[in-house]
Amino acid sequence: MSSSDRSPRPCEDAPTSLPDSSRPVVNVALVGNPNTGKSTLFSALVGVQQRVGNYPGVTVEKKTGRFTTETQCYHLVDLPGLYSLAPRGRDEMVVIEVLLGHMTQMPPIDMVICIVDGSNLERNLYLAGQVLELGLPTVVVVNKLDVAESHGISVNLEQLRRRLPVPVVATQANRRRGIDELKQSLDRLDPGTRREPKSVFPEILENEVALLSESIENLEGCRGCRLSPRWLARRLLLDANGFLEATLLGACPGHGGPCGRGRGWGNGCGYGRGWGWRGGRQVNLPGGPAAAELRTQLLDARRRLIDAGCPLPGIETEARHAWTKTILDGVSSPPAQYQSTPSDRLDHVLTHPVWGLLIFGLLMFVVFQAVFTAAIPIMNLITTAVERLGIALTAALAGTNLAGGAVESLLVRGVLGGVGGVLVFLPQILILFFFIALLEQCGYMARAAFLMDKLMARVGLNGQSFIPLLCSFACAVPGIMATRVISDHRSRLTTMLIAPLMTCSARLPIYTLLIAAFVPSHDLLGVINLQGLTLLALYVFGTVVAIVVAWVLKRTMLRGSATPLLMEMPPYEWPSARAVLMRVAERGWIFVRTAGTVILGVSIVVWAALYYPRPAEIEAPFAPRRETLQLSLDQLPPNAAARARLKTDLAQVNAQIDAAYQRQSILARLGRAIEPVVRPLGWDWRIGSAVLASFPQREAVVATLGVIFGAGQTGEPADAASLAGHLRNATWERTDRPLFTLPVALSLMVFYALCAQCAATLAVIGRESGGWRWPLFTFGYLTTLAYLGALVTYQFGTWLAG
Amino acid sequence: MVDSVISLTNLLPGQVAEIFRIEGRPEDVHRFEEFGLGRGTRIEMFRSGNPCIVRTASNKVCLRLQNRFHVFVRPVA
Repeated sequence: MSSSDRSPRPCEDAPTSLPDSSRPVVNVALVGNPNTGKSTLFSALVGVQQRVGNYPGVTVEKKTGRFTTETQCYHLVDLPGLYSLAPRGRDEMVVIEVLLGHMTQMPPIDMVICIVDGSNLERNLYLAGQVLELGLPTVVVVNKLDVAESHGISVNLEQLRRRLPVPVVATQANRRRGIDELKQSLDRLDPGTRREPKSVFPEILENEVALLSESIENLEGCRGCRLSPRWLARRLLLDANGFLEATLLGACPGHGGPCGRGRGWGNGCGYGRGWGWRGGRQVNLPGGPAAAELRTQLLDARRRLIDAGCPLPGIETEARHAWTKTILDGVSSPPAQYQSTPSDRLDHVLTHPVWGLLIFGLLMFVVFQAVFTAAIPIMNLITTAVERLGIALTAALAGTNLAGGAVESLLVRGVLGGVGGVLVFLPQILILFFFIALLEQCGYMARAAFLMDKLMARVGLNGQSFIPLLCSFACAVPGIMATRVISDHRSRLTTMLIAPLMTCSARLPIYTLLIAAFVPSHDLLGVINLQGLTLLALYVFGTVVAIVVAWVLKRTMLRGSATPLLMEMPPYEWPSARAVLMRVAERGWIFVRTAGTVILGVSIVVWAALYYPRPAEIEAPFAPRRETLQLSLDQLPPNAAARARLKTDLAQVNAQIDAAYQRQSILARLGRAIEPVVRPLGWDWRIGSAVLASFPQREAVVATLGVIFGAGQTGEPADAASLAGHLRNATWERTDRPLFTLPVALSLMVFYALCAQCAATLAVIGRESGGWRWPLFTFGYLTTLAYLGALVTYQFGTWLAG
Repeated sequence: MVDSVISLTNLLPGQVAEIFRIEGRPEDVHRFEEFGLGRGTRIEMFRSGNPCIVRTASNKVCLRLQNRFHVFVRPVA
């Protein structure tokens, strides 16, 4: 990153009333515990002018926005909610790096707003104490005082103001109260000043801090840091998990040096190369002899402290809780008795082992119904719109020299077909995210995670994995994105790796086609339809395999002692319509951008494989008939009745030409090449080609089957019903033996239930896991599983049949 | 009164207790303490079992204790 990118920019978007619009923008970080109203305060300050993205190289969400006061323009960064500045995960490390000024594309922080929950000051001041030690100009915002009051907790703000060394402002962010006072407080701060905060630690620790800070000052990577070397030294000494040491000094905790063996979480070392921690991100890693010397000094200092009876890192919680008690003495005290709140009354029902599960089941039923029924009319609209756009495009190109050529085919089949194939799922995604945002906003998600935890713990996951897996029933892409809520890294990775096994909407077209064509529509016991039962069995099959795979992964590759679950259950709140809609819009856009770009690329590749080569001799046998038809059509008057029949005949010949080209295309040749491999599954080269073509995007299989098996050649639309007929009539080449039997259809469906045929999913796994190792593993294990599953299904089915 | 110390999992719904000792990997213990669940913290069992829900001063927390992680509490009369 060039230095110019990071230098403060003038306040370009400042209103004209601003006295001096050339003043540099002040960069403010918003820090606080989760569930303190941080995002609400962020929205109250910046309004709709917010941008959502990711921090470079990691998938921690980055929210930024701008706001102006009468004298100043501020650039606000909403940092991930956290309980401590001792980093133990990517979210916390991102906060440290932003504060250190190490994050690329992020300007150094000039000021901090530290938000605390007025109803839980004791816990919140732990983080606030760490933030105050940064020495940056800071405002402490006490939010949710109304909640404190409802819990019988009184807060003496005047007393708190006298005890803290920085301004304290009370807000009620959801009602926009106190926002002006906060802005005035920020205006009064000088972004250039630094405080030297008073330490809360014993002298013995501070002596070691003083020694280390001298070495840090001389360290190349830490030179130019906005934060004081003493702060860095203290944090390095108290770094319980080694994340800070690994990032700043390139060291692997526990190995006492740069990690040469950190290849993932499975070997017990989650640092270094594991998760691409530093691979995808530009982090200033000094390394070299100075860093090595500092590491040695750090180890010696820790040893001396432990020998002197100063427990590390326990001294931090001890010292900070003691400081918090001193600050809060006479400021806030817990109520003498716990008071029952409306949230408690709701929780008595919603977390109940019977009623809670029943209500949860009902809610999930409603969500599924909405996703799979309410979305259908909109999905049909999108399909029709894409088709009409294709027709319009063809009409626009007619008469030009591009008509009927490669460009038209690329635009209509490659680009429109591919992008349309993704866009059609957007209504389902939006509806799903609407419910998720609603349930998140009102605080129900934590209850759902609690209810599911016991079940998920049996396979080594925790309750937080449930929602991402639920999302994956619509589409694995948002499901994998939703794994960000899982705090345990191994559980998060396991959830990502099994998410593609959940039956997503893209599998429905092939399931419904094959079930309708080959599974008899009998009623079992007079009520259960066999076709419906087969569809349900496929859903259950995917889920059961996912559970087994999770169980195996957590006992092999992703083995490791699980962290105990510790999850806050926020009080219930009325969701804000604006916040829900903004969340849905954000997620929808991320889905379109992520899936759309990848799918567009692979659609073009598949199109090319099905379009090329184009030898002229393919067309020769059809040319006389086409020319005759075209000539007859040209000779007929515009309103002649025979024109319609001639047009149909011409379309039929064109479709035959297309099919002839496609049967000798690169894709069809590949299909023939792999025929020996797919024969044991009961498939011929044509099914093999269709399966190959659907690897980038599984829903492509129906269209490819249509092309290969010649649906549409007789002029009728290539819909599912006509395609089912073509499949039923298909025979092994040069024989009259039927190609598709029930075992073949079942083996194909089992293959689709298990295979990782979605480039967008693999790309998202790559992005979320920080490298290509895990998507490659996912692709490998799912393809193997799918092949074996299809093999067993076909062979067993054939043996059963006779 | 050490003999009145019980495991958190044995605390009954509605019963109030103080955290007496947390045992487990240092980083897990540290995480609990940072969360405000350290020695002396007063809690009330809301929904027992494993996972369980406990109430602290003003909020509720869901906990699941793993094999080698234990929280011992002293019930308050």
